[in-house]
Amino acid sequence: MPADYDKGAYPEPPRQTPVVDKQTALPNPALILSKLFYYSVDLPVTTFRDAVDSIRAKNKIVYYHQKFRRVPDLTECKEGDYPCYYEAEMQWRRDYKVDQEIVKVIQERLRACQQREGHSYQQNCAKEIQQFNEVTKNFQSRYGDLGAYASARKCLMKQKERMMAAQAQNA
Amino acid sequence: MVGTSVLRSVAAFAARLSPLKSGNTAANLLTRAIPRTDKVAVRWGHGKRLFVIKPSDYYDRRFLRLLQFYILLTGVPVAIVVTGVNIFIGEAELAEIPEGYEPEHWEYYKHPITRWITRNIYDSPVKDYEKMMAAIQIEKEKADMRLTQLEVRRHMRQQGDGPWFQVPTLNKELIDNSPKSSPDH
Repeated sequence: MPADYDKGAYPEPPRQTPVVDKQTALPNPALILSKLFYYSVDLPVTTFRDAVDSIRAKNKIVYYHQKFRRVPDLTECKEGDYPCYYEAEMQWRRDYKVDQEIVKVIQERLRACQQREGHSYQQNCAKEIQQFNEVTKNFQSRYGDLGAYASARKCLMKQKERMMAAQAQNA
Repeated sequence: MVGTSVLRSVAAFAARLSPLKSGNTAANLLTRAIPRTDKVAVRWGHGKRLFVIKPSDYYDRRFLRLLQFYILLTGVPVAIVVTGVNIFIGEAELAEIPEGYEPEHWEYYKHPITRWITRNIYDSPVKDYEKMMAAIQIEKEKADMRLTQLEVRRHMRQQGDGPWFQVPTLNKELIDNSPKSSPDH
């Protein structure tokens, strides 16, 4: 079975199973339906999955997440050193992808929190909301309007503009 | 007894030959039932029987039949192979890279067919990276050489002391200076 998710980031809501207080002699239709579903869908699917897993257990293969070395940045390349530009560009692209995935994870956490809390999400998920706002604001300021042909040079120029604006504001 | 049976069989034969003649109905003959071919039950059911005249759909059905055949010709083996791989080998599971171990480039992919393709058909990403860097280096050197060549051209044209831009002229020793060598020749 695949590894379980991070229980700290996605806490389970408290169980709300009511105490069984049967006052009639009539059968409970919810119980009948749940038992029906179990025997007609759940059990066959689980047995099939177990069978396939036992076949697969003999040929187990693993995969890894690749770790890339850090290379000199675009600011550390000499002018006209095109291979250095290429390596910096590839590193920037990998970092861009990583940042996109980070934003997706934060979005997913906010969504899960809203689903858990229901109508009282605005006060109960304050931490997730604050995290989401911060992360998206930073992402927007760094990679915001670079467009589809974003490159490390354009991002660097955007950073320069940001620094110039900050300096003009401070002065 | 024997005569009546012979008579009966002759009457049945006659009735079979000409069933429409009066006196030959089934009620008259005291033998077993004779098949009457004119009064057979017509099993068309309800509705009027129509002879529908429509254009030939042979070519359309032939096209669909051939389409089905050629799609399934490769579709079925591919489906069997993919199902077999998914059931018998299954997708890889994520694991931490062990200490001091450098995984091969195909061990970074999840599905077994992707792993096979990257292992046997594609070049490794490291090789692709190096190929791109080599192409960039070659282009850089070409551009640098072109710039230096333009610079050298400019210098040689201006200074004139290099091998380029030399125009071949006559040998000065071949000129006969005797007509102009003395003032009053």
